[in-house]
This record gives sequence, structure tokens and C-alpha cells, in this order.
Amino acid sequence: MSVDIFEITREPIDKLGLEKRLLTGAAGAVVTFDGVVRDNTRGRRVVSLQYEAYEPMAVKEMRRIGAEIRERWTDVERIGVIHRFGPLEISESSVVIVITSPHRRVAFEACRYAIDRLKQTVPIWKKEIFEDGEEWVEGQAPEMSQ
Amino acid sequence: MGGNVIKINVLLFGACREAAGASELNCDLNAPADVAGAWHVIKTRFPNLEKFERSALFAINEEHARNADPLEDGDTLAIFPPVSGG
Repeated sequence: MSVDIFEITREPIDKLGLEKRLLTGAAGAVVTFDGVVRDNTRGRRVVSLQYEAYEPMAVKEMRRIGAEIRERWTDVERIGVIHRFGPLEISESSVVIVITSPHRRVAFEACRYAIDRLKQTVPIWKKEIFEDGEEWVEGQAPEMSQ
Repeated sequence: MGGNVIKINVLLFGACREAAGASELNCDLNAPADVAGAWHVIKTRFPNLEKFERSALFAINEEHARNADPLEDGDTLAIFPPVSGG
């Protein structure tokens, strides 16, 4: 499974490039989740976001999610997860997840699982920058397994 | 053999880093040490971290950890709020 891709980067994410790197002849479906920066939160105007990552652990946790996906959906062909950190502007991608599989259902399910798990376990934090201040986004306290 | 002291490396992230005004520090602990004991020592050094008493999460050597998990000499303990990536 060394062909799967798990990365943390300061650079803009090359979504099409990631899809291309993962595409094999056996795939009949590519499902991509693209998480982008929204310009508002609870009615308040967001100017930009600042992401911070515990880089080595974040990559480890992404790999773990990849392993969980392969246990649950043995038909998954390739998995790619790239998360960006540093300052991001409105509409820029903060995370891109690509799943390929022979048929669509598995790719849809696995992609949704990947982003849901990423938001629970991968050590990355974001701060919203408003016109008149800034605030860390409060993550959900996890029900850490066991 | 009691009275042993271990040295750990501590990393702080996100709102915890900002509250403490530090991203990395060294900490001496009496052995046997665990996460809860280290957290107590660190909060004493950085009282602003008290507000994370209920929410703080921990990792030892890049693996999620719980309060009762033991710490060994040379370990890296990371302290952070619930994650908010994506």
C-alpha cells in the first residue's frame, strides 16, 4: 500500500495532480472530497484561516485512517489524503481526499469515512481570522476509542 | 528505586500553545511518571493552561495517549485541544 499518498503541505494542493497520481487501470470510480475555506461562520465574516499541524503525527494518523479504510472496504484501489497548513484564503483547499475503486459505491463510502475520521483524529487545528479579531475553532472532544 | 527523575520533551499546539506562550519545553518529572502527573506539573508552570483542564488531549511519541499512560525518560509529550482540521 506504499502507493497510497498521505501528505501535509504548506503549498496549494494540486487536486488534479493527486487524482492523476492515484489513477490505475483497475479503477472505474474516482471520488474526491475537496474541503475549502468558507467566508463565514455563524453569521460572522471570515477573512482567512490559519492552520497548524503536528506534522509527523498528522501523517501517521492519516496512514492509520488509510489502514482502517482498507480493512473496511477491501475493494478500494488507491487512497490519497493531502492536508494543507499555514495561512489560507477564502475558497482555497485545506484538505483533498481521493479514493479510487472499481465501482462507485465503495469510493463514496470510503471517502466520507476518511474525512469524518480525519476531523476526529488528525492533529491539525484551525483559527478563524475575522475582520475584528481571531478565534481558534473548537474541535469536538473525541470519544477516544477505549 | 525511588527518587529517579526523568526528562521529557513537551510540545504544545493550537490554543494550548498560545495560552502557554510556548511551543516546546523540557520538563523534569519524578518517576514513575504518567500523563496526568506531567499535565499537573505543566499547568503549574503555565496557569493559563488551566482552562484546558477538561478538554486537553495528549500524545506520547506521536501516538494518542490517555491520562494514565506512563512516561519514560526521553519521551515527547504533546498537549493540544480537540483537533479541528478539515
